[in-house]
Amino acid sequence: MIADAATSLDAASTHGYLLVLAIVVPVGGVLIATAVGGRTAERTAFAVIAAGLILGFAILLDVWMTSRPLAYVLGNWAAPLGITLRADGISAVMLVTTALIIAATALYACADFTIPRDGLEARAPFVFWVLLLAVWAALNTVFLSGDLFNLYVALELLTFAAVPLVALSGRAEAITAALRYLLFALAGSIFYLLGVALLYGAYGTLDIILLHQRIRPELAVSLAVAMMTAGLLAKTALFPLHFWLPPAHAGAPPAASAILSALVVKGSFFLIIRIWFDVLPGSRSLAAAQVLGVMGAAAILFGSIVAFRQARLKLLIAYSTVAQIGYLFLLFPLVVGFEGSPWSATAWTGGWIQLVSHAFAKAAMFMAAGLIAQALGHDRIDDLGGVARALPLTVLAFAISGISLMGVPPSGGLIAGAYVIRVMTRMLGPRLELPTLSVKVDRWRQSLPLSLAICAMLLGLLPLQSLELLQVGLPHFLGSAGR
Amino acid sequence: MTDATIVLSSALALPGVLLLLCLFPSVRARMPKFAVIAPVPALAAAWFAGRDPSIVFATHFFQGHLALDVAGALLLAAAAILWICAGLYAATEMRRSRNAGNFSAWWLTAMLGNFGVVMSADIASFYLFLAAGTIGAYGMIMHTMTPDARRASVTYIGFALAGEASILIGLVLLAAASPGHSLLIRDAVAGLSPSPWRDLTVAFLALGFGLKIGLAPLHIWMPLAYTAAPISAAAVLSGAAVKAGVIGLIRFMPFDAGSVNVGTGLAMAGIVSTFYGVAVGITRANPKTILACSSISQMGVIATLIGVGLATANAGVAIAAAFYGAHHVLVKGGLFLAAGIGVSDRRNRWLVFVPATVLAFALAGLPFTGGYLAKEAVKPFIGEGAFAIFAALSAAGTTLLMLFFVTRLGSASHDPRGTPTASGLLVPWLATAFFAIAIPWLSLSLTDAIPISEVNSIADLWSAIWPILIGGGLVALWLNQKRQPREIDVASAADIIRRMMTICTSTVERAEAILRQWQAGSISLLAVTTVLIVIIATGR
Repeated sequence: MIADAATSLDAASTHGYLLVLAIVVPVGGVLIATAVGGRTAERTAFAVIAAGLILGFAILLDVWMTSRPLAYVLGNWAAPLGITLRADGISAVMLVTTALIIAATALYACADFTIPRDGLEARAPFVFWVLLLAVWAALNTVFLSGDLFNLYVALELLTFAAVPLVALSGRAEAITAALRYLLFALAGSIFYLLGVALLYGAYGTLDIILLHQRIRPELAVSLAVAMMTAGLLAKTALFPLHFWLPPAHAGAPPAASAILSALVVKGSFFLIIRIWFDVLPGSRSLAAAQVLGVMGAAAILFGSIVAFRQARLKLLIAYSTVAQIGYLFLLFPLVVGFEGSPWSATAWTGGWIQLVSHAFAKAAMFMAAGLIAQALGHDRIDDLGGVARALPLTVLAFAISGISLMGVPPSGGLIAGAYVIRVMTRMLGPRLELPTLSVKVDRWRQSLPLSLAICAMLLGLLPLQSLELLQVGLPHFLGSAGR
Repeated sequence: MTDATIVLSSALALPGVLLLLCLFPSVRARMPKFAVIAPVPALAAAWFAGRDPSIVFATHFFQGHLALDVAGALLLAAAAILWICAGLYAATEMRRSRNAGNFSAWWLTAMLGNFGVVMSADIASFYLFLAAGTIGAYGMIMHTMTPDARRASVTYIGFALAGEASILIGLVLLAAASPGHSLLIRDAVAGLSPSPWRDLTVAFLALGFGLKIGLAPLHIWMPLAYTAAPISAAAVLSGAAVKAGVIGLIRFMPFDAGSVNVGTGLAMAGIVSTFYGVAVGITRANPKTILACSSISQMGVIATLIGVGLATANAGVAIAAAFYGAHHVLVKGGLFLAAGIGVSDRRNRWLVFVPATVLAFALAGLPFTGGYLAKEAVKPFIGEGAFAIFAALSAAGTTLLMLFFVTRLGSASHDPRGTPTASGLLVPWLATAFFAIAIPWLSLSLTDAIPISEVNSIADLWSAIWPILIGGGLVALWLNQKRQPREIDVASAADIIRRMMTICTSTVERAEAILRQWQAGSISLLAVTTVLIVIIATGR
């Protein structure tokens, strides 16, 4: 299938311009919003979101219909020299997921980050809308880039857009958290860049398809893959490299937390997948995959237990992200270990469904937690009694996303079950008088996390074997299953 | 759509629809009354399936399969009757509760899980309904929100989830070994024999279901949960919901191929539970706790039966276990209702005392009661040869424990003024007591699937009576001891487990505090990189 991709690369697909637009539109939005400022920032964001949703679905449709990856060669400069953009099945799925969650977050954020009518721009709203578009541009570049250096640039852009989102509130602890995040992410970048340099030195190209053809099992490749993986693990916050994540994700405003937990950590995870399954030739190291799997399993246990012990709702959700990231890494030992058998494709599909459903569920949870914190003025779990009656839709959203997180028993399902149930018990618990709401929460705002949670839940109904879309454009490692 | 499709799916649809209606607060407030009729279609399904055991059908949604055989129909019929009677009781009991609507939502969830587990023919639906039953039970145990109820519900959910994790591992191993990846329970269990994991699979399943039915030493949650739950909830949990474990053992144990190791283990655990339940029960004061201990003992008998069947590869135990279980559904459920009414009302005290005493003797197997039939049904497997002693001792123990229960019922009259008992409580109790005696005879006359030898020799009757006389003598001796029975402290073991869990989780939290530091993060990054380099470079 890699050969297919290469031929289509030379010819560039008919609808290849869609890929350029998917990156250019949000980048253009960032530029316009920064240059014009004021209320235009918010309006630009919504225009870009409308266009981005259409582009995302158009690319998905094209990949689905043709069952071939979309490709575009910038300026018709062929691969070793120029830059190629490529959308295979997983890129298309991620583009749409990102567009949907960004759209929901933007609608949710309207109430928190409105730029006042008198045109006087406030710092936080202005920065939020610009950064939202910047995160999106960076993510789309990660999903579409076809060479490793371009991916490095996208990754840096992602980090630099995400860090200020953490610091948005301006409180001291938020800024500390943001700086920890920044420094550790930069350390990760250095490891990644070292790996890129090694590969370039050895093979003279960074194009993924060309590398795949040229790469041989030798020391330089082992070193490069190990360093790039380690660097990206730091950015993905896989246990034990997760220490920056809980304060960063819990300290950000709810809309930003939703983006960070649902999407940003998935950007670097996506890149690990690219390196492992697109760059590396046939034989992947099962032992290394098992190391990733063990770290994932440890993350599940550790993250869930610590989540259970948290006193504050947002920290609990952040630790649940630590645990859920662990699940994503179970994909490696399962897919590599079953290589060539039908189970491999099942594991691959399952891993991606888990990723997308966690994105929806986690965004929903952070939004719901945000509404609860706003309405009550606090998010102490022990004092949540009666919230179910005050904000029924929000609590329902939390419950549904909780159930979709509990979905993968036995070990994590059990512990995830424990902390979800602990929170739900508090929320549903009776209280003599209704909790006093310091702010009234609109019903339509409550319905946003609810609809995301329902999306996460419905993903569970997808049949595991028959999602060919996720295999479009991948090297033929999944065996003959799924057909 | 065939008739069977309509009958079977409506058995699940009605509780499901009522559960959805609970989303509307105005309907939810009146749900305790509506919930009474929810089990009616299930009763109809049991009636039809019991008469024509060939009914099997498959729905097309998500490949879920439902089916009902005679064993399932027996348990479903008994469970449905108990859910109706206890539902009537609950409608009165919940009249003054502020959260009656919520209670009904949990009630319907547990009911849906209970019926679904009995009717599921494929692995996925079975697990789904098992989980629904657990969640419903958790909510009902928690209902009063007292500290005891919270502690009991947390202990319950902890044990139940651990049991379900064990069951899930078993189910996954089972599905992996299933020929052609069929998820039908029958195919999967039949295809298990060539699997190298066979004994492991069966052991995980037996462990999980053993926990569900409260086998010692996995019984800790049971006295706690049944004591803390409202009476109607304790009745359906101890009577109907606990049979999810029994039907699980009946459905998933490979009786045709047999498994000597797991079967022996299960039988040993069953024998221990049978006597342990009695030994603990006679030291308790609270009638509800005594009944819970009796459940441990009775489920021990069923586990012994199934263990013997598994060890000797005798598939006949399935129907016997279902018959024994169906009898226990109504007797135990009924006795909980009696414990709830108590004997404080002087005018009606005989309406509680007399039937309760009859049911107590029925559980011990007094001739001409349903319990006698139940004992006869299991006799070919655990009533002859070396097991004859076990059967006699267990009957004597049951008599001792149940008569002790009846005396506690009398001493628990804490209301000297004798408030009249509401007929909304009395009628469901008398109905349950009637059905507990009648249903075994009725089902025997309706189906010839239950193998019971003709009962007429005096020797047969005598072999059923003498253990009861011994039990009666023992209870007289025991009551003469003037020992003060203790209030509930069965919790101590649960508390130890909880304390251990707290220690574990706080250790993890302390480790997290270390990992949160910069130095730890940087060292981990270097360590992860080194490990990956070494493994990728050398470990191809």
